[in-house]
Amino acid sequence: MRWIRKVRSELRKLTTTKMPFAFLGVIVLLAAVTGAAVIWGTDMDGSKGFIATAADQRSLMAFAGNAMMGAALFGAVAVAREFGHGTVVPTFLASPRRASTVTAQVVAVLLAGALLSIIGAILIVGSVAIALQFTEYGFLVSTGGVVRVIVASSLTGAAGGAFGAGIGALIRNVGGAVTVVVGLLFISPPMLIQLVPESVEWIPSSLAWSISGVLTEPGVPAAIAAVALWALVPVLAGLTVTLRRDVV
Amino acid sequence: MLPLVVNQLGKSYGSHQVVRDLTFTASPGRVTGFLGPNGAGKSTTMKILLDLAAADHGTARIGDRRYRDLPDPARTVGVVLEPDAFHPGRSGRNHLRVLADISGFSLQRIDEVLELVGLTDAAHRRVGAYSLGMRQRLCLAAALLGDPPVLVLDEPGNGLDPQGIHDLRAVLRDRAAQGHTIFVSSHLLAEVELLADDLVVVDKGRLVTSGALDDLKQAAVMVRSPRAEDLAVRLVAAGGAVETGDAPETLTVRGLTTDLIGDLAHNAGIALHELASGAGSLEEMFLRWTGDEAQATSRRSRLIPTAVTTRKEVVS
Repeated sequence: MRWIRKVRSELRKLTTTKMPFAFLGVIVLLAAVTGAAVIWGTDMDGSKGFIATAADQRSLMAFAGNAMMGAALFGAVAVAREFGHGTVVPTFLASPRRASTVTAQVVAVLLAGALLSIIGAILIVGSVAIALQFTEYGFLVSTGGVVRVIVASSLTGAAGGAFGAGIGALIRNVGGAVTVVVGLLFISPPMLIQLVPESVEWIPSSLAWSISGVLTEPGVPAAIAAVALWALVPVLAGLTVTLRRDVV
Repeated sequence: MLPLVVNQLGKSYGSHQVVRDLTFTASPGRVTGFLGPNGAGKSTTMKILLDLAAADHGTARIGDRRYRDLPDPARTVGVVLEPDAFHPGRSGRNHLRVLADISGFSLQRIDEVLELVGLTDAAHRRVGAYSLGMRQRLCLAAALLGDPPVLVLDEPGNGLDPQGIHDLRAVLRDRAAQGHTIFVSSHLLAEVELLADDLVVVDKGRLVTSGALDDLKQAAVMVRSPRAEDLAVRLVAAGGAVETGDAPETLTVRGLTTDLIGDLAHNAGIALHELASGAGSLEEMFLRWTGDEAQATSRRSRLIPTAVTTRKEVVS
């Protein structure tokens, strides 16, 4: 019961500032850009091959990769700003058991990341579906395919939120935490592939596409486990540091 | 009835020792003023007491428990610590709701504390638009949410207007009268003098003095004599610690009673123009306590006779 109160408190922290609405705004913008791309965009040869088949359309709608990145930024900002604004002090005073408090924080950001990602996936799917009305192509993705795209987004969004929360607790500075998230999820994967080509299947974007059904390797269970591992490592690091370091 | 018990507390940041073997107790039913110059280790001591920082050695307990072991911290200890620990975009009421959610306080209780600190009308506004005094009132509201029997307050009067300070003093005195433990750090010495029953004074991380404010004030005797220098020599020989004041004929004597000083002067044929117990204002005492370390050491052992010193030396 007490732990549920902590999660509720953390959720209230998230919903009583403008940050979630800023992220929602970005998602709406992404959906609008995707819709515009469907209507007016073409391949290099001037054709609309990128929306010609069900697989192409699913690939276009697969929001899971973006969801993980966006939710990670959301989580990093949400937790790091707690330290920046000092609001972590009243939190730890009301709830001095740091392990359960940090866990509640991670769970709240994880839930928020999942919710934002579901909204993002639905908006993207809706945007593509509407935009296709203005082309010669119909909506070719099955209901099962759409559901999978949305579920994949919720999973990677949840993992991304937890990943960001862990980085935020570790770095404790909004600018630094955002930089590390971008570095780990966006900049370092291509470099890693250059060094170890076999790692291509295990970087976040590949895993997200696999869960969405765009890629077949690695399999869905392995991809979900790998995404969870990507999230778990920073969460454990953040938790360990929070337990050992002075709060202020 | 929960005293705050600090025992042999020590804390360093790198090679800088911030708190050194600090031992004191803040008792229930009393307002204890926690004084010291900037960097004396007051805030660090409070953070250790509240489990926001770890001690290198020693203990700091509320009753017989560490803060983290309290069964319901928010209903046991109210804290004002960081004056800017708010998200600037969150409203005052929502700030309290976040805290109320954790500890299970009702919305009615939030309204009560907002009313108590005079923030009801501003509760819906975002904290970023609050003045320093309003933020301080919000800190106090958060501290009082759980109606706790212990208050730990770091500079609670910061930014408050005279009415706010008056109201704060009334609240704290009332709570102390109910048997609550009030532990207040402040630089407003005149305010502490009006508010505190007991004092704990630290300097450079060490305890300089502690005890009841009235006792500390009576621990010195003011003497005015046209032959102050002659008298000072005799007083030191008799075991007193003597400081000369700004006026050359004025002495502050520790370790000797007014009776003894009067007799001694009479026997030596030295006229006294004034003889009164009292160490001066709290500000004067504070400046003597927190002078340079050598002086502080001599003052700590005030019953041990030392050389005659001038207050100007102490202040500088």
